[in-house]
Amino acid sequence: MSGPDEIDHILAALADPTRRRMVDLLRDGPMRAGELAAAFDISAPAVSRHLRILRETELIEEDEAGEDRRLRVYRLRAAPFADLQSWLEEVAAYWTLQLAAFKVHAESGSARKKGRKK
Amino acid sequence: MSASVSVAITLAVPPDEAFRLFAEEVDQWWQRGPKFRFRPRSQGRMCFEPGEGGRLIEIYDEEARDIYVVGRILAWEPGVRLSFEWRGPNFREGEVTEVDIRFRAHEEGTRILLEHRGWEVLPSDHPARHGLANAPFLGTKSGWWQEQLAALQRLA
Repeated sequence: MSGPDEIDHILAALADPTRRRMVDLLRDGPMRAGELAAAFDISAPAVSRHLRILRETELIEEDEAGEDRRLRVYRLRAAPFADLQSWLEEVAAYWTLQLAAFKVHAESGSARKKGRKK
Repeated sequence: MSASVSVAITLAVPPDEAFRLFAEEVDQWWQRGPKFRFRPRSQGRMCFEPGEGGRLIEIYDEEARDIYVVGRILAWEPGVRLSFEWRGPNFREGEVTEVDIRFRAHEEGTRILLEHRGWEVLPSDHPARHGLANAPFLGTKSGWWQEQLAALQRLA
């Protein structure tokens, strides 16, 4: 399991709009580095740098097949997203508890008011 | 890719009343204790300053103006929508997430849809527990949440 530090790195990797878009593109399936680069109006070294950061956080992986970097295929890895997901589920749990408490409060309040009307 | 969370609940009061209770009586229903409030050692009073431009705050000492500002209110549409910024105690300047709550008429009363979004903006060197309040967020104590949820399910 990833610890808090790794989740911080995942969030940092996804904080950049270009990298988020790369992840979005890879959701539809594996892509070659060249295809990915063509989708962005940034330099090849910049594309490589973003891909390296995504690789380091293990959000994506590359096939080592082929000498030519542009022909390397990148795909999403599920595990880091599962970690992020499990963290977000805890945020959801926070609000689930808060809304459950609100429901209890709101419904007991309306019960009191109905009681007064009688 | 954005990191957001959605939670929904149905309650047996009409939307106008649900909105009013949510905002006006926030201190009465907002869970107490350091996991839900904003300072670990002092208990304040939660308060929505009504209207757009208002804020969600926790007040510790009114006279001394000792408050914690959770965030500015972005949308205030009674009975329909309440949206506000959310800054945890460990967030740095400029870091902010957003809570957006919709109140919809429902055959049982009101359907509340809450979305908390923008978690992807927080940078990497952030303290791990930068989440909501001082809540034990990042999986380290998830057993606590499971217990709470199980307890709620037993009540329901």
